[in-house]
Amino acid sequence: MPSVAAAVARPFAAIPEARRKQMGLLLLAAAALLFPLYHNNDADIDSMANAAAYASLALGLNIVVGFTGLLDLGYAAFFAIGAYVYGILSSFQLQPDWSSFWVPFQYLGLVAQMPGESSGFVVHFTLSFWLALPLAALVAAGCGIAFGAPTLRLKGDYLAIVTLGFGEIVPIVVRNWASLTNGAAGLNGVAAPQLFGHSFGVNATPYYYVAILLVGFLVFVSIRLRDSRIGRAWMAIREDEIAAGAMGVNRTRFKLLAFATGAAFAGATGVLYVAKLQTATPDMFGFPVSVMILVMIVFGGIGSVWGAVAGAFFLQLLQSWWLEDLTGWLNSLGRLVGSRWLAHIDLVPSIELIFGFILVFMMLYRRQGLIPAYRPPSALSFEQQHAVVQRGFGELNLPGLGGSARPGVTALGVRGVTVKFGGLVALNGVTLEVPEGAVVAVIGPNGSGKSTLFNVITGLVPADAGSIRFHDDEILGLHDYQILAKGIARTFQNIRLFPNLTVLQNVLVGQHARLRTGALSAVIRPPGTRREEREADAWAMEILAIFGNRLVPRAGQAVSGLSYANRRRTEIARALASRPRLLLLDEPTAGMNPAETLELAEQIKGLKGLGLTVLLIEHKLDVVTTLADTVYVLDHGDVIAKGTPAEVRRNEDVLRAYLGRNAQAAAAGEVGTEHVA
Amino acid sequence: MSFSSLLLQQTINGLSLGAMYALLALGFTLIYGILELINFSHFNVFMVGSFIAMWTLQSFGLSGQSIILTGLPLVGVLLAAFAVTMLASGTLGVVIERVSLRPLRGITGPAAMITTIGVSYILFNIILVTVGADAKNFPNPLPPMRWHVDGAVLELREVLIWVVSLVLMAGLWLFVQKSRLGKAMRATAQDPEAARMMGVDVDRVIMTAFFLGSALAGAGGLIFGLYYNFTSFIIGFTAGLRAFTAAVLGGIGNVPGAMVGGILIGLIEAYGGQFIATEWADVIIFSILVLVLVFRPAGLFGRLAPSKS
Repeated sequence: MPSVAAAVARPFAAIPEARRKQMGLLLLAAAALLFPLYHNNDADIDSMANAAAYASLALGLNIVVGFTGLLDLGYAAFFAIGAYVYGILSSFQLQPDWSSFWVPFQYLGLVAQMPGESSGFVVHFTLSFWLALPLAALVAAGCGIAFGAPTLRLKGDYLAIVTLGFGEIVPIVVRNWASLTNGAAGLNGVAAPQLFGHSFGVNATPYYYVAILLVGFLVFVSIRLRDSRIGRAWMAIREDEIAAGAMGVNRTRFKLLAFATGAAFAGATGVLYVAKLQTATPDMFGFPVSVMILVMIVFGGIGSVWGAVAGAFFLQLLQSWWLEDLTGWLNSLGRLVGSRWLAHIDLVPSIELIFGFILVFMMLYRRQGLIPAYRPPSALSFEQQHAVVQRGFGELNLPGLGGSARPGVTALGVRGVTVKFGGLVALNGVTLEVPEGAVVAVIGPNGSGKSTLFNVITGLVPADAGSIRFHDDEILGLHDYQILAKGIARTFQNIRLFPNLTVLQNVLVGQHARLRTGALSAVIRPPGTRREEREADAWAMEILAIFGNRLVPRAGQAVSGLSYANRRRTEIARALASRPRLLLLDEPTAGMNPAETLELAEQIKGLKGLGLTVLLIEHKLDVVTTLADTVYVLDHGDVIAKGTPAEVRRNEDVLRAYLGRNAQAAAAGEVGTEHVA
Repeated sequence: MSFSSLLLQQTINGLSLGAMYALLALGFTLIYGILELINFSHFNVFMVGSFIAMWTLQSFGLSGQSIILTGLPLVGVLLAAFAVTMLASGTLGVVIERVSLRPLRGITGPAAMITTIGVSYILFNIILVTVGADAKNFPNPLPPMRWHVDGAVLELREVLIWVVSLVLMAGLWLFVQKSRLGKAMRATAQDPEAARMMGVDVDRVIMTAFFLGSALAGAGGLIFGLYYNFTSFIIGFTAGLRAFTAAVLGGIGNVPGAMVGGILIGLIEAYGGQFIATEWADVIIFSILVLVLVFRPAGLFGRLAPSKS
């Protein structure tokens, strides 16, 4: 098979990729627009319109599940909300008595006056389809926020069950609130859309065009969002929530944004769907619909925009065309060979069974779906892999990093910070000071509280007592993302990158707090946003250049494929990209060989030369000796020593903490240059 | 009926429902405790269990309400029905784990949960396509014995449901607390990696959890049939969601918590149906789920297993 594909692709290989994509898109659009002209069958056009509606839903769910990693099993609820917004406001369901209150709405064409059943006049709602599309999107988004605000804090799998419940509750409410929704019988007489005075009626073609345009628009919005600050924040949350927060992403806000965006897609689609069917019943929006949409994006590729569209079209057409065709063929075959069973088999009801198998098989054998969201990057060329290592930093000039350090001014002041985990005192009244422009190291045996110190500074762990001041602000009690915005960036002891994102994307996420692009400007992409993205890219490449040719040639590769040392470097680059004033490095050289350790130590020294303040946890004492101006030694949550590296090395308490009482005397002379781990 | 006898009647009903939810909740809790996985296939293992129970009873020549047994034959048929149902459901659970979940062990993200949704859907639709969409009469072999207590009616089947549930739960509790495998199970729930290094056969532990959980779900399915006198392809969803709420209420991963949570949910359903409105029962139960998860995610009694993140 690959050879056939390669043979077909060969003539096109000469065309540049961007051009090829453009041409493909153009062909697809032309085929979609011409379809009703060359295939003039109303039932088939109707199937295509339904498929397009489901593609819109899949695109919305893809933002929630695919981009942001929130498994939503009740997505159809938002579909229902959109459908009922239009259904109720364009049918005869609600008929309040006419009063002068309604006159202005009558002028706007939103309501009409009509004679009531008993006496006087009543209101007939006549909301235009075209107004209903954005309105329903807004209402659904509002419901998404109202529902998401309390629940999005939940862990991923709890969220799944809560959304499942929500998806169940909305149809129940619809069924039981008959005065508003006409209950299980459903809304009747929903008005068909009108355009320039012509009603769409029951002909499928106009609905098909609206649906196709909606899909096109939502694909555009999805792609624009994905390739922006917004999409990067979503994907960062999906990949590693804690790292996303530490890199300045306000998780609650961006999860809500994803939820609201997905809900808005579903709300608008609901309007289209109900206008097309001209009725709405609670059963149209139950759990099977939520599952079907999930199957579509799992099949097409979780997180893949075109995958969602392809999955939706394939499964919808499988249901409405191919299974029927297949049933017909099997029945004919059965009659031909005289098999009663084959002659009467009906495959259409088994569609949901097929969905179940698709879910299981895709998860077991092809989790990335038909059109994977991430293509494996082409391997580095031999030359790139074996290039002479350039250490970087020679000619680097990074304005915006560090800046003018004022000697003697305190950057970070930790005073009497105590952290307890149950009965364990992880930090016991720790006081520590980091002067501007200095490199301060924290050392101590395992379990002495070093990483807890970092966690409390960066807002991951609450303190029981004490204060932490950064320049002039108290930062204890701030959220992790607020602390990053203040100018403190960190790395993690056990590397927390965003594994499926590229090196460049990881570093771009680091700039999240320094960029301003909102959801709307990400979609419209005004000149200011374009400039911001260009500058962000340029800054990211400049940061990567700190590590010479280690990371630059690999900028387009997923970090999961990088070597251990390169992942450490990427994490440091990501932290630097946020333009910190204080950099917290948690064992940056752990797992590196001596040559790599030396290289990184030089690079950290270079950063210090730029005026950056560094707080460092390190086990390798030679690194500490070369880099640090001041060393703090922690043991069992207490600061047991403080001083220059030379002073600390001679301190008896330190030797005892590291080596124990007996070994202390014997080893006293040799500790200095050894690795103490 | 006076208020007090209504209350008593609904307590009787709620305890019976609660016993069923508790049996179902135990399966969620056992598997979540070990794998940190919400097992959606459990919903429909329960449903399939009720069909297996129905077929087993039918194979004894029982159908509808026509044949009433007493004495030893009744005990024998019931024992056989529970044994066959639990064995078959347990085996189904083991097969599901072996075929669809073990290959995904160690893969992070929602893959395993999506797989269980798929399996659940497959079971659901197999029954729908083969058995049909209409509700089936569930054989009731019990004599119509009933006692009047203070205006409320207590039926034999309710006593039976309570006794069977208590025996099963006590058995599970003893197994988890006393047996070697039960100890391995608790160790695995705390830390699978450490348990493996201490020589615990984690695969066997997970298999056991699936067997026990699914067997209890099968018993729950039989009880559903006895209680409601029907079964249908559709029963797994609502009962499963309620039982999951019960597991969360009791603190997911916590075995006694699931039992108490199940009883509580059963009582809430019964009282809510009586004093508020039946059609809003699910809204009430779901609101409880959200409130517990948001304000007390460890449940009423806390979780035994620590978070593995």
